[in-house]
Amino acid sequence: MSRSPRPSALTRTLTAAGAGALSLVLTACGGGSGASDGGQKADAASVRAALDKPAEITFWTWVPNIEKTVALFEKKYPKVKVHIVNAGRSKDEYTKLTTTLKAGTGAPDVAQIEYFALPQFAISKSLVNLADYGAADLKDKFADSAWSQVSVAGGIYGIPQDTGPMAMFYRKDILDRFGATPPRTWEEFGALAKKIHDADPNVRLTYADPGDAGTSNSLIWDFGGKPYTVNGATDVTIDLKDDPGAKAYADTWGPLIESKLVDSTASWNDEWWKSMASGKYATWLAGAWAPAVLEQNIPQSKGQWSVAPMPGGVSAENGGSSVAVTTQSKNKEASVAFAQWLDSDPEAVKSLNSEVGLFPATKVLLDDPGFRGAEVPFFPGSKPNEVFADMSKAVRPGWQYLPFQVYANSVFKDSVGQALQPGGNLPGALATWEERLKLYGKEQGFTVK
Amino acid sequence: MGLMLAYTLIPLIWLAISATKSNQTLFDSPGLWFGDGFHLFDNIRDVFTYDGGIYLRWFGNTLLYSVVGAGGASVIATMGGYALAKFEFAGRRVLSALVIGAISIPASALAVPTYLLFSDMGIVNTPWAVLLPSLASPFGLYLMRVYATEAVPDAMLEAARIDGAGELRIFLTISTRLLAPGFVTVLLFTLVATWNNYFLPLIVLNDPKLFPLTVGLRQWDSLAQGGAGAGAIPILPLVITGSLLAIVPLVVAFLFLQRFWQSGLAAGGVKQ
Repeated sequence: MSRSPRPSALTRTLTAAGAGALSLVLTACGGGSGASDGGQKADAASVRAALDKPAEITFWTWVPNIEKTVALFEKKYPKVKVHIVNAGRSKDEYTKLTTTLKAGTGAPDVAQIEYFALPQFAISKSLVNLADYGAADLKDKFADSAWSQVSVAGGIYGIPQDTGPMAMFYRKDILDRFGATPPRTWEEFGALAKKIHDADPNVRLTYADPGDAGTSNSLIWDFGGKPYTVNGATDVTIDLKDDPGAKAYADTWGPLIESKLVDSTASWNDEWWKSMASGKYATWLAGAWAPAVLEQNIPQSKGQWSVAPMPGGVSAENGGSSVAVTTQSKNKEASVAFAQWLDSDPEAVKSLNSEVGLFPATKVLLDDPGFRGAEVPFFPGSKPNEVFADMSKAVRPGWQYLPFQVYANSVFKDSVGQALQPGGNLPGALATWEERLKLYGKEQGFTVK
Repeated sequence: MGLMLAYTLIPLIWLAISATKSNQTLFDSPGLWFGDGFHLFDNIRDVFTYDGGIYLRWFGNTLLYSVVGAGGASVIATMGGYALAKFEFAGRRVLSALVIGAISIPASALAVPTYLLFSDMGIVNTPWAVLLPSLASPFGLYLMRVYATEAVPDAMLEAARIDGAGELRIFLTISTRLLAPGFVTVLLFTLVATWNNYFLPLIVLNDPKLFPLTVGLRQWDSLAQGGAGAGAIPILPLVITGSLLAIVPLVVAFLFLQRFWQSGLAAGGVKQ
């Protein structure tokens, strides 16, 4: 969640299969037969009251340790029983969710859904519009970048759980070796890439993953792009070719990859972790969820990492997810109340951050001096949360995902991924991706421009 | 040939060596050589005890799904293939064509319709949802039809009929023996297919207690990688060791069943 789906060996083999099944269901959903609309409305008071009535809720999530936070809920509201089911990470869960929603049975009451996948489920009327349950009152509790991502087609379809404002993780030891400081602009970023490469061919400033659509989307976002626009439920505009942000992204990253100043490699595998641990890469551009991942997987690099703002000083979200209530839920009020508690109760968000390791979406924590100033032993002498919280405020507004972003990300590798390698033509590949997405959108019954 | 051997063996060697490493040495030692310390037995113990020993449960589930599913599929395929090969009846050609057509439909394309069907029947999230589809093996049926045509001589069947044997008795006492090598081949194919089945159980099962190894290990993997961005649980060695243990029964099954893999039992049995 907090990060966009990264392809493991297994997901890769399954991508084709999954996309096939998913498109099948989406096509079927076009008729609107599968989804029933929420029906009843309720106000905030009756939602709160639902917590004192006996209810059973099924909650699909794949967040490790989240049962610790849910235990706090069950202690406080003992009448509501929450069954946590790990339904698989990201795409695995969405495949299951799409199937069960279409079948009209078997879907959970509450499901964890990443921001990039939320429009897909919202527009197919699979999720409860939380605005009907008084959720609009919660707006001021959340960071703007988080709230805008759960607002889809005029409704509110999820409660933000965590965010991933992008920041630059860097290895102090490596930059020191080259007498460098973290680059503050993209020009400095490019110059440093060259400097490092010229001085030591075994080290790279960073890498680009040809299979990771999430990070590329985030970088386009960071460069000010708005390639996807959704109007209402059926009108979609896709512009990856001429969008200024997409262009800036291609102009900055294309030459770096072309001249091999930046490595081109698949990430999140054994080999990549080894490179990260051994100091092959001087920086890593990733969401604020990254510290816990670094700490768990390469503890031996403790003390070498530090955090800096993104080059250029603005940021984008990389990953992050929300908790949504399905239209199939038999206990909608209790489910909404649970989702709201989980993601906005001060005690709960504190637990999500400290025990589960999620980077908060709520202002109460983002602005908390104790949180911002916290020392993180893995990054001695720096205050990473302060950088992340500032980056969260610096996220460019107005980004939207496609209502078929899960598919879009799954075909990223075949088009743009080919160009994220030496010899590739990045602007051309973005145009190819655009064509492919337009075609798919039309096949799914969207009006695509 | 050498390349093929390397291509097949290197991943296995990697798996076996990696299973001896702890979470940390996994990332700071070479992939194809040992790291600091030998953690295989620790890892194996952890695999069997983590999360209340659920790995054993997944192992049992996989065994159940594979043995009943693959065994049943092979029996059905053998009987069906034999019938299609040796009996004349109306619609035989159409049926054969249907079977061949069914082979070309990928299982993942059928997963969603299957789910819809099972959810109507109310057997979603039960072992039946995995077992029933496993019982149908169009490829096995096709293979047995082709095999039965060749392996069971018509003359032998006629001789048995003239001697007064009923069709059932002929099938059970004569044909099954002639069909045994084909049966074992189909059994091996379906065994591997059901053992590795991932997409169908992923869709139709929600309860971790019912998961086969494939889905369960994938779940561990997502916990290990910190699928939630943060809070990864350092259990990657368990995923690797668990995967290594998961292939052991398949290897044993292959070595054991290969003995039955002789063809041409009836060669010379009749004069053509």
